[in-house]
This record gives sequence, C-alpha cells and structure tokens, in this order.
Amino acid sequence: MLNHAISQLQNWFPAPAVHAHCDGPCGVYDPSSARVAAEAVVSMTKKLMDLEVPPAGDKAALIKYNNTFSRFVAIKEEQAQLTKDELLILWTDYFKPVHLEAYPDLHDTFWKAAKLCSACKVEVSTQHAQELMAAVEKIHGIFWATKSRDIAWVTAS
Amino acid sequence: MEQDTFPTLRHATWVDVGLWLWRRRRRFRVEGRSMLPTLEPGKEVLINPRAYAQQPPQGQDLVVAEHPQRPGFRLIKRVAAVDGEGACDLRGDNPEESTDSRQFGWVKQDSILGQVICHFP
Repeated sequence: MLNHAISQLQNWFPAPAVHAHCDGPCGVYDPSSARVAAEAVVSMTKKLMDLEVPPAGDKAALIKYNNTFSRFVAIKEEQAQLTKDELLILWTDYFKPVHLEAYPDLHDTFWKAAKLCSACKVEVSTQHAQELMAAVEKIHGIFWATKSRDIAWVTAS
Repeated sequence: MEQDTFPTLRHATWVDVGLWLWRRRRRFRVEGRSMLPTLEPGKEVLINPRAYAQQPPQGQDLVVAEHPQRPGFRLIKRVAAVDGEGACDLRGDNPEESTDSRQFGWVKQDSILGQVICHFP
C-alpha cells in the first residue's frame, strides 16, 4: 500500500533530477593514446642522446644547448606521465575480472609498464624507452583481443 | 582483477516517508548510468540534507553534490575518500560510464548537498 501511494505521488509530482552522469565519450577506450605518448618518450630520449655538447667557452652555444636540453627533458617527463595516465585508465576502467582470467599476467603487464614510465622519467634510457613501447604494444594486443578485433600495431614514426 | 563491490541501498520505510513529509528528506530522480548497479536510471531516492551538518562525509557514503564546474548541476556519486577538511573524492559505481572526481577533482564539503538515505519507495 505504501509503495502504491508513493508511486501515485511520483506520477503526480516528479522529483528533480540528480545526474549519475557521464560527459562522454565514456566507454570509449583505445590504447593508441598511450602509444602516441610512449612514442614521444622514445623520440625525446633519442634526441637527448643525440644532442651535441657545445664547445667550451662558447656561451651562446651553451645557452642554446641548455635550453634545448631542458625542453627535451620537459617533454619527455610530460609524455611519460601521460603514457602512465593513459595506461592506468585502461587498467582500472576498461579491464574487467573476466579479462584477468584470460590474461593472468594482466596486472603484472600494467604494473611493469607503469614502472617503465617512471624509469623513462628518471633516466635518459633508450633501452627503457624501447621496453615501454614493447609493453604498450603488448597491451595493445591484449586490448584488441578482448574485443575480438584484429587491429594492426602501427606507429607514427 | 577484483570486481568492486558496493554496499546496497535500502528501501524506504514508513519512518523515511514520514521524515520526507516532515521535509527532513528530499526526493531526487536518478538520471544516467554511472551509478549502476546500485542506482538505476529513473529510480528515486531520498536524501538527508542535514547529514553532514555535524560530521563530514564518510567513505562509501552515497551523496548528492553540486558539480564543481557546473553550478546548479546536481550529481549523485559515491564517496571514495575524504580529506581532513571534508572534501570528497567522488566516483561512480560504474566507472566506465561515469564522469567524476577523476575528471573534475575533489569536491568541497560545501558542495555536498546531502547523503542518500534510501530508495524511494
């Protein structure tokens, strides 16, 4: 009886809305955003390695070198963090228990990939940057396999 | 990974209806899917607007809050964490379809409009 009376009331007097909302494009996931950021980390690491040290006593060249070096480091730092953020979104929001059953090393894969993002910030390491790309590629493979889609691994560079 | 589990929300009793008639509870209708499976779109809830007058929100509470960047836009979310000043990290129970503190950041206690007490009815 109570429920019936309340239902009548609800019909006569609609309640104001509260939003359990989603701004969208929620539910849209793609490891390519992590891949683009990881590629930038690889590129910046390589550019840092290739940067020529200016000759001693050339102040203008030294200033230019320091400026360029700092910019490359800043971009590497930012893109490694972005890679980590994108990976964590996939890990915590997209992947479900059913995926873990099919890919028991899923947690380990993401954990190691996130650690590599940190390593690429701390160091200027071509090896770790390449390992990060390989980890993102592995996640790409798992991700699209869970959707039963065969999406080729392509890189921008 | 582990499926997140959330406390279920009870249904209204005569006491809740009485408190609502006495204007100690407010009715709201849920729109959107971010609180599934706890709250289905179209269902109504009762909130206690004075729940946090004396004490800050607690983790796991369901709350109605004003969107930090959209004045007047009311959200219904779950409290994932509370800081020392009562600001809340709000999350949807259905993270895949939720816009929450992951995007708009922590929500100050002033913006928490009340605690969700029960389904209505």
